[in-house]
Amino acid sequence: MDKQQATARIAMIFETEFEVAPERLVPEAHLFQDLGLDSIDLVEMIGALQKEFGIQLRDSDEARAIRTLGNLQDFVFNEIQKSEAADGIRS
Amino acid sequence: MQLKRVVITGLGAITPMGTGIDALQKGLAEHRSATVSMRGQWRHFLNLHSLVAAPGPDLDEKRVPRQSRRSMSRMSFYGHDAAQQALADAFGTGSAGPAHFSPGRLGCIIGSTTGSPIALNETFETMLPDRDIGKLSAVKFFQCVSHTVAMNVAQCLGITGNVLATNAACASGLQAVGAAYDMIRLGRQDAVLCGGAEELHPSVTASFDVLFAASARFNDAPSQTPRPFDRDRDGIVCGEGAGILLLEDYDHARARGAKIYAEVIGYHTCASGDHISQSSRLALIQCLRQALAGAGTAPDEIDYVNAHAAGTLQGDAEEAATLRELFGGRVPVSSLKGHIGHTLGASGPIELIATLLMMRDNVIYPTLNLSNPASDCEGLRHVTATISQRIDTILKNSFAFGGINAALVCRKINSP
Repeated sequence: MDKQQATARIAMIFETEFEVAPERLVPEAHLFQDLGLDSIDLVEMIGALQKEFGIQLRDSDEARAIRTLGNLQDFVFNEIQKSEAADGIRS
Repeated sequence: MQLKRVVITGLGAITPMGTGIDALQKGLAEHRSATVSMRGQWRHFLNLHSLVAAPGPDLDEKRVPRQSRRSMSRMSFYGHDAAQQALADAFGTGSAGPAHFSPGRLGCIIGSTTGSPIALNETFETMLPDRDIGKLSAVKFFQCVSHTVAMNVAQCLGITGNVLATNAACASGLQAVGAAYDMIRLGRQDAVLCGGAEELHPSVTASFDVLFAASARFNDAPSQTPRPFDRDRDGIVCGEGAGILLLEDYDHARARGAKIYAEVIGYHTCASGDHISQSSRLALIQCLRQALAGAGTAPDEIDYVNAHAAGTLQGDAEEAATLRELFGGRVPVSSLKGHIGHTLGASGPIELIATLLMMRDNVIYPTLNLSNPASDCEGLRHVTATISQRIDTILKNSFAFGGINAALVCRKINSP
């Protein structure tokens, strides 16, 4: 999966689960201040991302540094690549 | 200590008759039955004999902001809408109700039998097949907790006073009104949004069905059940909805020139202490006598009794014996469950609201489906057709599993 595909699927989660208008989904948007999410939304977001991409995010320390949508996109894409690499090693 | 006087200044309801108190009043005036067949939806449940219910309306849930909406189930949406109606009734549409009270002086007490039965079932259906906790939504918990309606309504409306949930099955809502009355008259709150809310689910009907307390003989003729006090009654019909009242310190209400439906003048709640499911006439009599004593009112001053009478064999007979003992055949008695089914924890406040509307209009609506009073329910002045009669003082009765009883006495205020 390339980053453009991952970004589009993340955007879909923001639009359907959190009712954020697509034009507000710019990389520099702060998740709390600009997109209106709160701490419970982040918990729901982790669950939605895990389900969407089949990755485990719950115990990641890097996730705590996420502030903007761009941070989130980078983090998720990185985790997808790590997961795909691990799958490649196993196979 | 000088106790405060407590008045009712706002009403809101979602009922099987529709949205709003006018829809409730209209449905009762037209003698409509809200009971419908649930055979289509519930046929997949093995050994569920009762296939009738009184569903409420579907609301536009998206009207509630997302971050308030996510923790709400159907019963919380009902409670929230009814609470907004009550505030609009008291302060005008668009007016922020809590802004009319000092911080912490407006409370919220809303009862229900359990947390959302829909959310509880979804939780177990999600978790149990694979015993996988990871599949659970983080917000589902907030729909499952027993105080889900009270906390969601308070959060959504910005209420910062006492927030409580009374959970005593079918007496939950009237206990909430009684608790609000006590809180205001003790001076601990200036006003309280109070009442009850419930939502329909086959597991709720099933809990009565397994006790042989749900109606099962009228699945092909839904409008003929439930049949309170009738010789052919065969159990309850579960309904859903919410009834919310604004109770307010009389002085506060008078100072702002509020419309006052009635004054709450007496309340009592007690338990029978002798059986988990059977109601007891001795405990009911005790409860009503204490409520009347608290009101300083003799039984012959009561103009109308709105009975609990849900259409169960044992419960209706015990209540009839109670009312016969206290009121003989003088006071008009009716139950509204023939019209709107048994909305369980919401039934007390919904039926109290209907009673206040009857008091306002000086009219008494009958017990629908009471064709032939049962021999064990005789000796009362059953209302079987609409009566026009002056009503100044009413008694609302509720009782519940666990031997829990609750009774409230209200009196009209003609010149606030």
